This record gives sequence, structure tokens and C-alpha cells, in this order.
Amino acid sequence: MLADYIRFSVGNFKRRKIRSFLTMIGVFIGIAAVVSLIGLGEGLRTAILSQFGFLGVDVLSVQASGISYAGPPGTGAITPLTDDLAEKIEKVSGVEAAINRYLKSGTFEFNDRQTIGSAMSMPEGDRRKIVETMMNIKAEQGRLLKDGDARKVLLGNSFAEEDVFGKGIKAGDSVLLNNIKYEVVGIMEKKGSFLFDYAVLINEETLLQDFGDDGSVNIIGVKVRDPNGIDKVKADVERLLRKERDVKEGEEDFIVESPQKTLETLNSSLFAVQLFVYIIAGISLIVGGIGIMNTMYTAVIERTKEIGIMKSIGAKNSTIFGIFAIESGLLGMVGGIIGIILGLIFAYGLAAAGRAALGVDLIQAHVSMALIFMSLAFSFIVGLVAGVLPAYQASKLQPVEALRQAK
Amino acid sequence: MNLEDLKYSFQNLIHRKMRSWLTVLSILIGIMAIYALVSFGLGLQHYMKTLSEEMGADKLFVYSKGTAAPGMDPNFYLTRDDMDFISKIKGVNEITPMYFKAGEIEFGKEKRYNFVIGLDPKDIDFINEGFTIEVYKGRALKEGDIYKVFLGYNYQFEEKPPSFKKAVSLGDKIFINGEKFEVIGFYEEVGNPQDDSQVYITEEAFTRLYPEEKDKFGYIMMSAMPNVDPNELADRITEKLRKFKGQKEGKEDFYVQTLTDMLEIYGNIIGVLSGILALIALISLIVASVNIMNTMYTAVLERTKEIGVMKAIGAKNSDILFVFIFESGFLGAVGGIIGVLLGWCIASLGGFIAKVSGYPILQPVFPWYLTAGCILFAFFAGAIAGVLPAIQASKLKPVEALRYE
Repeated sequence: MLADYIRFSVGNFKRRKIRSFLTMIGVFIGIAAVVSLIGLGEGLRTAILSQFGFLGVDVLSVQASGISYAGPPGTGAITPLTDDLAEKIEKVSGVEAAINRYLKSGTFEFNDRQTIGSAMSMPEGDRRKIVETMMNIKAEQGRLLKDGDARKVLLGNSFAEEDVFGKGIKAGDSVLLNNIKYEVVGIMEKKGSFLFDYAVLINEETLLQDFGDDGSVNIIGVKVRDPNGIDKVKADVERLLRKERDVKEGEEDFIVESPQKTLETLNSSLFAVQLFVYIIAGISLIVGGIGIMNTMYTAVIERTKEIGIMKSIGAKNSTIFGIFAIESGLLGMVGGIIGIILGLIFAYGLAAAGRAALGVDLIQAHVSMALIFMSLAFSFIVGLVAGVLPAYQASKLQPVEALRQAK
Repeated sequence: MNLEDLKYSFQNLIHRKMRSWLTVLSILIGIMAIYALVSFGLGLQHYMKTLSEEMGADKLFVYSKGTAAPGMDPNFYLTRDDMDFISKIKGVNEITPMYFKAGEIEFGKEKRYNFVIGLDPKDIDFINEGFTIEVYKGRALKEGDIYKVFLGYNYQFEEKPPSFKKAVSLGDKIFINGEKFEVIGFYEEVGNPQDDSQVYITEEAFTRLYPEEKDKFGYIMMSAMPNVDPNELADRITEKLRKFKGQKEGKEDFYVQTLTDMLEIYGNIIGVLSGILALIALISLIVASVNIMNTMYTAVLERTKEIGVMKAIGAKNSDILFVFIFESGFLGAVGGIIGVLLGWCIASLGGFIAKVSGYPILQPVFPWYLTAGCILFAFFAGAIAGVLPAIQASKLKPVEALRYE
């Protein structure tokens, strides 16, 4: 039965090639826009989120309250965290380790060029191993930092490229940090994340000595033994900090957060932006649907006589309805298939062109199978919905009237 | 072209109501989206322009570089010495320092975190001119004010961020980092929740709250003497201050910005963003044009016989061509007019929502050229889509056409 409908529809497409083709153009431009924009948006979102992807499920971060958009963690804090808290947090049951992380801003000079950025501390001893595992860092050149490395620095992969200083830095080179000479012990593997690829890591002791120590900490990383118990540990750490910082419940001047939560917030705000773009792109799909409806109305008028004949030889209303609805849906779906192919070409082509032009790895396209099937189903549904009214009109025609009315 | 042709096109549109309306609908959706998006982009550009006119193009800012917002990086800042040096550079007129720090604002047992700005009260007129802002209520800060605070606009309303449960009024006491301050005035609205929830105190009060920040400025604002080009002055300040601080070219830890620089940067961003969005919306207009083309092809087929009759009684090819192109353009124009109307409604609604949610700077503007441009554009999109079908119609052989069933 369905096969008959489809055969019938294809026959009709062939009969009015230009019109069918124009109708399909409408749908496929819409689908191509949606597929390529969603693909690019999704790729960009994945790339941005992957920047923070190292944040595991068994980690909590502690920060002092303040203005979050003022700069790197800790910069907008009112009452900074003190460096004695980590030790106390470590005693909370369920906590494997609590690690002070210091971020110090300074100048970075190499090849007679200078930038301003932040250097981050690497803890010494057992904690180094924990941080290294947590961040999953490996050296591409040279080695990682080890205890006793004074005035040695481990750099992110981007510093090995020419763009920052006009010349790539190699393990063994000397660089000036705050006008003090440091030896580069290693370059980390490329991570595709700016947090890592532009990281400047220095042993805690050296960092505090050369960049100044005011007893304040930017952020405390807390590793939890059992990820399932993370909520309880969070509550316990909060209780401890309230006591230490002498604040009442509800008036905390600090935030204990699981990075997963941060990720979710980021994700939802990115999604809001994407949604806006999708809606605008989706409008063209609606316009395409209107085109289908228009074509189908024309088809019903054109084929009034045909419908009359079909009905007089016994076609039921439902059969006529089915023929027109399927035809309309097929128009949509064929447009959808072409649109998906074009959309794929656009998305990946634009992403590649964007990467080449801007040199930013963040521009990625990601078209999932789900997106492809959804678009296909959606284009069919758009066609089907657009065809419902015309098909209904066709099915309700009186056979005798239809036979007579046709010109 | 004559009146009869127009009347004929018009009658045809009425005849095939359903199809015409669907075609019009498809074009109006695209125009609506473009009109609404562009009106917001223009609104922002308009805002930047008025801002620069009020502020005066003679303003310059010296910022310290660093990894955070101005004044927030503990290791990079501008000092009193830097300012004294700059004030002596030829061409510099008025000059004033700005302190910036995050602060804990407490009112009615509730705490919020916002920027605290320390300013020199004797420069208050210059500062207000630079901020393009005026006192809304109460009085400005003056010399000798220590435990007095001047607030951003939003504090007067409990529903606006920083959204304290109770609105703050003149004479109320608020706590900044635990110190009690009396509220002496409010600024008028800037139009975004960050600026409208800042608090302002005198330099003296600021250095009491943050003793370690004394003479460490977030940025320094100055104006150029009349007849001095601010951009040239900016270059001169960069060069001299660099030498003063003993830094080499390209290794400065500060930068100088003129108002023109700032506006250019914002203007570019706004332009690019609204351009991209309008481009995406344009896609729907292309689809709509294809729809018009489709409708017109059908119209030509349907009216083959009619065309034959017209030709038989003396219509020229060009007459037929014109009838169909005009009909097509007319479809577009009707879509354009309705689209502009709906777009206006949507943009106004959007502007209202933005205002309610604390962003009154996001307001659409509707210059006549945007309206006229959209309608004309819709007309031409329609007319162009009609060209091919119209050529086909005009090339019909009268005899063949008459015979056509």
C-alpha cells in the first residue's frame, strides 16, 4: 500500500519537475542551514567544554566569594582564602587530599618579546603526583617538574609554537619570568585546551619566593576518596570553613563547588545562545514548509479531475488523503536528504576554513548521527504537516463535482 | 507600464487567495526576522554614538595590563608617580585617578559582591562627564566625605540586581566590607546591571577600606587640551610613560586608549554580530524567493490561455513580462510591509523585555531607511524571483497558448 503511494508520488514529481525541484530547494536550504549551524555550534560547544573536561567527578574546588567576572580565580575575592586551610580540610573524613593552588600574574619574556600572564603553582611531594594525575599531564619534550626544581618552569604546548614569541620555546631554553631567569624543563603534550596549552607551571616554593607570598590562596582543590560521597564531603568542608572563617550558615563568604556544576552552568548558557541561532535558522525551514503547502494546494487543484476518476473507481477518502500527504512528506524528505549533504559540506568546510584563517582550534564542526536522523525525520514531518490541509481538501472532493469541475 | 497592468496584477493576486497568502507569509517571516535583528544592532550603534557625543572625543584612558579586570590584578597597576608624570605631559588637560576593587556590600543583613570605585571628589564634574552620567538623586561626593557612599541607579529598586530585599533610599546606612556608610546619592541609569550596581566612595574612604591599595590605580582618565588630537596625545603618552617607567617598546605594562579606539572596538563587534544574525535570517528570504518563483511558474501555467488571449488582442512581449514581474514584486512588497510591521512589534517587545531585565541599553531603533530598505528589498527579491517565469510567459506563442488546455 505504502509502496504504491510512493510510486505514485515519484511519478508526480517527474511530471512537474521544475515545481517539485523549486519546492525542494526551499526545504533543503532550510535543512542545510539548520544542519550546518547546529553542527558548528555543537562542535564549538564540545570544544569549549573540553577546555574544562579534565575536571573530574571526584574533585571539589574552594574559592573565596567575590566578583566572579573580575578575572582568574581569586582575583575578585573580598576575604581571600588563607594558606592554612588546606591542611585542615584534609582532615575532613572522605578527603584524600586538599591542595593549595596559587596563581600569580607577571611578565613573561622570550626572544626579546614580552607578554603578561599567570603562572600556576605545582605542589611538592606526594601531592604533585595527585595533581599530575588529576590534570593528566605528560611531557612532550623534556620532563615534568620534580621536587627541588628551583627556577625551573614547565610550559604548555602552545609556547612551543611561533605565535606567542615569534619563535617556539624548546626544553632547555631560558625564559624571563618577572625578569628572573628560569630554565624550561619541559613542554607538555598538546591538550587543545587554553588552560593547559598556555599553562606556566612552577614549583610552589619557587613561585611564592619569586612572585611574592601574602599568605592568600587563589583556589583550593579537594580530591575526594569516593565520588559517590562527594555531597557529604562538600557539606562537611562547608561546615569546617564556616567555623574557620567565623561566618554563619547562609552568610558564607566562600564557595565550595563541584566542577561538574560549573560545567553545567556553562553548558546551559552556551545552549541559550545556540538556541537563539537555531530559531533564526529554523525560520527558513518553516518558510520551506509553507512552500510545500503552496505546491500541494496547486497540485490538488491541478489534479481535481484525476481525484474524481480515482474516487469514481472506488478510492476511499483515506486513500486520497494518504496519497497527497505522503507525496508532501516525500517532497520534504528528499529536500531534507539534499539539505543534510549540503549542510555537512558547509559545516566541515566552514570549520576547516575558519581554523585555517584564524588559527584557532576551537572552531570545530560536529554533526552527530542523531542530528542527521532528526533532520531527516523533521524534514519529512514538515512536508507531512504542510501537506495535511491540501490533502484533506483533496480527500473531501465530491467525485461528481471533481469530474465536472476540471478544465 | 500603465494603470491597467497594475490593476490586472492586483486582481490576479486576489483571485488565488490561498496561494498568494502563503507566498506572502513566507516572505514576511524572513523580513520580520531581519527587521527585528537589524533594529537592535542599529540601536546599539546609536547608543554608542550618543555616548561618544556626550563623553566628548577628547577623553583618554591609561590602563595597566594584567590578567584581570582593570585594578583587579594585584601585581599590575598604575601609581601616583605615573599619574603625576602623565599630568605634566604637554597636551594633557584634566586628569583623575580611578581606584577599583571588589567589595562586599551589606544592606539589611544581606550581602552582595560588587565593584567599589574610589574617586577624587574634587574631579567629580570631570568624572561624571567621562562616565556620561549625572546625579539622579541626592548630592555628589565632595571633599571631606568619608563614611558617605554614592550608589548606582539599581540600588533604589528591590527588583533590580543587586536585588536586596529592600530598596535603598537616601540617608540609609549600608556596610562596605563591614564599615558603615551613609547613602548620599544615586547616579542615573547606565543601562546594564554591572555598572548600575557599582558603589562610589571618595579616595580617602577607599584607602581606609583598602590601605594596601593606596596610590595603586585601576586606570587614569584624562582629557586632551582643545586643539590637541587625542590619538597623537595617546602615542605621546605611551612613548613618554614607557621611558619614564624604563620599559622597552612592546614591553609596556600599560596601554593608552582613546574614546575613538574604544568605540571602534565595540562598534566592530556589534556590527559583526548583527551582520551574522541578519545573514542567517537572509537564508529564509532566499527560501521565500524560491517560493515566489514557484508560485509564479504555476501562475504562468494556469494563465497560459489568458496570455494567449492578451497576445492575440495585441499585448506585446514586454507587456506580459511586466505584468508577471510586477505581480511577483507586488507579492514581495506586501510580504515586506507586513513583515516590517510584525518585526517592529517583535523588536519593541524585545526591547521592553530587555529593559525589564536590567539591560535598557538594548533598545531597537527604527530609522526610516531600515523600514524603506526592507520593503524595497522584499519588492526586489520578489521581482527578481519573478523574472524567469515572466520571461517564459512573455515568450509564449499566442496560437499555442490559446490552444493550451
